[in-house]
Amino acid sequence: MIFRHFLVDVNESNTFLIGCEETREAMLVDLGEWDPAIPAFLEVQKLRLAAIFITHDHYDHTDGLRAALEHHEAEVYSGKGCVGGQQGTRVTQDDSIAIGALRCRVALTPGHTPEGISLVAPGMVFTGDALFAGSVGGTSSPDNAKRQLSYIRDQIFTLPGDYEIHPGHGPSSTVAVEREKNPFFN
Amino acid sequence: MSNSTHYAPVHCKATDCGAFALTGADTCWAHLADREGWCAKLGDLDLNAAWLAGIDLSGRNLSGWDLRSARLSGACLKDADLAGADLRDTFLDGADLRGTNFTSANLEFAILGGADASGARFIDANLQRANLVGLRAHNADFTGADLYYARPGNADLEGAHFHNAKIQRTIFRRANLKDADLTGAEGSANFENANLEGVAR
Repeated sequence: MIFRHFLVDVNESNTFLIGCEETREAMLVDLGEWDPAIPAFLEVQKLRLAAIFITHDHYDHTDGLRAALEHHEAEVYSGKGCVGGQQGTRVTQDDSIAIGALRCRVALTPGHTPEGISLVAPGMVFTGDALFAGSVGGTSSPDNAKRQLSYIRDQIFTLPGDYEIHPGHGPSSTVAVEREKNPFFN
Repeated sequence: MSNSTHYAPVHCKATDCGAFALTGADTCWAHLADREGWCAKLGDLDLNAAWLAGIDLSGRNLSGWDLRSARLSGACLKDADLAGADLRDTFLDGADLRGTNFTSANLEFAILGGADASGARFIDANLQRANLVGLRAHNADFTGADLYYARPGNADLEGAHFHNAKIQRTIFRRANLKDADLTGAEGSANFENANLEGVAR
């Protein structure tokens, strides 16, 4: 499995790339900006951008979509279908996304946004703005906050403790660390 | 930003062991027969994004090593010397870092959540955006360290020294800073529900 983290300027958001070593297909998770480092990495690694997974429809996670799609025929997956002004495929709980030999699974994590989703990949999970290291995403109401915590407990904290958590902003973490130490849950 | 490109740990060859094998070995640390031999050749390996979970390198001189994006979860690095080491994006969650020397090390985006770094030295270290969630670091020395946007939520930092540290956007939510030294620390940090009893500012 190929893995790479890009820190882009827009709100210091994270973009992640995972790829299949055999087929050289790659998927980006969130794309706040089409940072030149991303196409450069694709070229150097001889990767074909096959998909872009958007955890939620906020500009700091989608503003790079248009530029990326001008250069690559990639399928866009999100919880809404249309994100960042781009049409894509709507996915929901337990839907499977394959990138070469990699098998990923969609997990619903609404709260920060109604259609927020996470992506479970081998050994790791991408949580967007639902769950951060030591924090959770902002919500518009107490009900949405409760809903978000509930989904995180059910969808993320039930994963193995050594799974890596890669959020939309800030440092990565592990399921065990967040389950046992995150101030919003402990 | 991580330079890692490959992330494919293989399973330990020991029967019924569910752990991953260490980089440069075919077993995990628990099943490694020749630990000294493996440790001896460690300096010759490319350790970028290496799988090193659970290893014991306590007391060793690792100063200046490139361990970017390595997985050192649960490792014992007690009293090791990692001065000037490149530890960007490195997983040190749950590790034993007591007394470890991180002076001038680069720990940007490093994950130290749940580790014990009591008595460790982070003098002038780069801890920008580091995950320090639930870190135990009694009397650790962060003098001059850069903790921009670091996340020590729920951390136990009793008696720690942050003299002249940069703490802009650092999130000390629910951290225990009892008797910590924040004199000369620069920047606006989040101290929501933190214990600030006896803090020197």
